[in-house]
Amino acid sequence: MDRWYGVGVVEVLPVSTYVTIVVFIVGLIYVWVKWSGKPLHLRWELYPVPHEPGRTHYGGSYMEEVDWSKRKLSKSLTEELKEMLKEMLFLKRVYTYNRPLWYITFLFHGGIYMILLWFASLLVYSVLTVYVSETVASIIMLDRLNQFFGYVGIFATTIGVIGLLIRRVADNSMREYSGKVDYFNLIFILVVLLTGFIALSVDPYFSLARMYMVMIVSFQMTQLPELHPLTILHIILLQLLWIYIPYSKMSHFLGKWFTYHKILWDDEPNIRGSRIEYRVKEIIRGYKIPWSGPHMKKDKSWLENASEVE
Amino acid sequence: MEVKAVSRVKVSDIGKNVEQLVRLDLKDLMPLPPPYDKPGMEPEMTQPKDEWRLKYATDLDGYIGIDIPWKPQNKEEEELLTQRFLEGLKKLLSEEGNWTFLQPLLLSLEYCAKCQTCSEACPIYVSSGRKEIYRPTYRSEILRRIWKKYLTKTGKLFSDEVELNAKTILRLGELAYRCTLCRRCTQTCPLGLDNGLITHEIRKLFSSELGIAPKPLHELGAKQHLKIGSSTGMTPEGFKDIVKFIEEDIKEKYGKNIKIPIDEKSADILLIHNAGEYLSWPENPAAFAIIFEEAGISWTLSSELVGYDAVNYGVWYDDVMLARIALKHIEAARKLDVKKIVIGECGHAHKALTVVADRVLFDEYNIPRESCLPLLWDIVEKNKLNLDPSRNNFPVTLHDPCNIVRLMGIVKPQRNILSKICPQFREMNPSGVYNYCCGGGSGFAIMQSMNFPEWRSKIASRMKFKQILEAFRDTVENPEVPKYVCAPCSNCKGALRDTFEHYQATSRYNIQYGGLADLIVNAMVDLKTPYLEFLK
Ligand code: SF4
Ligand code: SF4
Repeated sequence: MDRWYGVGVVEVLPVSTYVTIVVFIVGLIYVWVKWSGKPLHLRWELYPVPHEPGRTHYGGSYMEEVDWSKRKLSKSLTEELKEMLKEMLFLKRVYTYNRPLWYITFLFHGGIYMILLWFASLLVYSVLTVYVSETVASIIMLDRLNQFFGYVGIFATTIGVIGLLIRRVADNSMREYSGKVDYFNLIFILVVLLTGFIALSVDPYFSLARMYMVMIVSFQMTQLPELHPLTILHIILLQLLWIYIPYSKMSHFLGKWFTYHKILWDDEPNIRGSRIEYRVKEIIRGYKIPWSGPHMKKDKSWLENASEVE
Repeated sequence: MEVKAVSRVKVSDIGKNVEQLVRLDLKDLMPLPPPYDKPGMEPEMTQPKDEWRLKYATDLDGYIGIDIPWKPQNKEEEELLTQRFLEGLKKLLSEEGNWTFLQPLLLSLEYCAKCQTCSEACPIYVSSGRKEIYRPTYRSEILRRIWKKYLTKTGKLFSDEVELNAKTILRLGELAYRCTLCRRCTQTCPLGLDNGLITHEIRKLFSSELGIAPKPLHELGAKQHLKIGSSTGMTPEGFKDIVKFIEEDIKEKYGKNIKIPIDEKSADILLIHNAGEYLSWPENPAAFAIIFEEAGISWTLSSELVGYDAVNYGVWYDDVMLARIALKHIEAARKLDVKKIVIGECGHAHKALTVVADRVLFDEYNIPRESCLPLLWDIVEKNKLNLDPSRNNFPVTLHDPCNIVRLMGIVKPQRNILSKICPQFREMNPSGVYNYCCGGGSGFAIMQSMNFPEWRSKIASRMKFKQILEAFRDTVENPEVPKYVCAPCSNCKGALRDTFEHYQATSRYNIQYGGLADLIVNAMVDLKTPYLEFLK
């Protein structure tokens, strides 16, 4: 299996790993730029907004005060962070509003976090091994931790993804609305995980995985450990998944940042002389109305449309 | 005419060639608590008249929200409608056409996981007995599929089933008026997606591109507002007459000699009420006048065109109309050189001028705009009025207008006031930012054409009515005890008025409704007679 059509798959593997990392990061940057590049939108916040000091617990805002615009408004970042972490780590909203789904999706997302920790511990272990010493890496028991994360991660994620698939098919309301892409994403992840189990069966202590990572962080591409063909298949699929993530709905971890921070929690008032005011002026004078409704002044600016009324 | 409907509606059924997709039946709706748990307590549901079917889109559920005759009459008209809709959708997804909401819209279209966590939060979906067409994701998914299938490169290959035809468009147009934009669903979405916003955007597409919107919002609402001065049709002269009448009324009934200031230059505050108050509930602007006078506030009303009507129906369906009206409000304030605008008890006017229009104003147009509720609390808290809570000694509950509470975070001031002046104040459940909409949100309260009010009272307001009955469960069946729903919002009051009439809640059980300022004045010790009509 190490030579397909004369191409050295094994030799290509380290290179494609680097390529995957780069493409993944570029993908994330692309998504970030795509969303942050959208024009300033009108305010559309939704309470509770978690950064209102002393008001978060009941959903209050600075607009509860007389003459709020004369005061300097403050934001509590810790409150916002707390809410973010509750949502990210425990999937608070699914927990509160959709408990049956939460058991499954928490397993899935928790599993993914474990796998990410597995990656991280592998990375730290390898960096220490290559650039400090292997003894340091073993003293802090990174290999043990690594095994813990790896096993819990792959089992939890797999059970989770199977559960999500079953639920999507079995629950009328989810099936009815799910599209091809929703199924494709879950099945893709499942396939990667199943090949992961095969890789795990030939490398139960992650020693090959560690060697592979050591090779990656030391940039010694010739020191590729000997890999089982199915392990190679797993690595290839995993790389494809990583490349695909930013361009798919799975980039919702970024999308969520925008929906919460830039929309639902964006209560920043437009103060005279502020950056927001500057942007408002630019947009409202610059953009021309393309709408054809009888009450629109087509091809005139937003400002002209707003200020000229018959 | 007997109409066949689809039994289990799917997303792909939206374009199905049947006369009416869904037929609602009273027995399917969410049951109401006592005393409305017995049969015969509410009227049956009706079917649309046959002649309505010819001109209006009865194709969804038989009810008519868009009361202009927009149904295509032949194949060509159908094709034209489809084409123009797609043109509109392109503009809705463009920066020039829709910078105002492009980012939130695209995020909500892109990321939905179809987990349906949001469904149970929706009062309309739940009240209807969980009818599929009212699920928050139903209309969103239709728009999403049309977008993917007809406007993206990969669409043909990967899109999911939907057919874009005249039926689809007619039904989608009506569906945009089966959601009150309360955004309760949005609070529960793990991804922060906003099906309420998608409704808003569909309305915008229909209005901005096709000129299609319910008459009470557009033709008689926003357009008339800009032209005549008020969505009620009240002219500046008419407005001044009513204020005069209110002054006389205050004098006659309560012996108070109050001069209500109109167009006073350089006052601290320009107070703008929803003009509907002057016509339907003049006791509310009167109560403000009494309170402000007693508290020594420097304030004025404006008789400038648009300046005496705080409503801004644009916020529900068309951003350009929103901006036009907001600018007029600001112009009225600038003319009088006031320090700030304070908005009376009108929820959407609060949100429109304070929050949503915040990012269309700049330079000298960017003047402070505030809610009346913190100011009222400030007056009560500082004991500027001599109040006796025992005058309000009857069960009172508070309705939280979505626009003021969930969408602006003004939660406490009104509660503080009620806790201080109403000994029998009790909360609804849920309340505050998690409240349920009155059912009149997003313009529904003023949409009175054909059979729409029936749908509103039976479905949209049903959850609120249930909450009210539960809040008063201890005395609900005793008509001797007046029960007061405090709703500091004109549109909410309109919806409550119609709901109570539909269920005969006032005549049977003495359930009343009214504003907050009215309750404050009712507690004023120097008033010889009760201020609230039902106590007299
Ligand atoms: S809760 Fe959010 S992600 Fe889930 S179906 Fe509703 S809108 Fe989509
Ligand atoms: S905004 Fe309100 S009415 Fe509309 S779908 Fe969401 S919960 Fe239902």
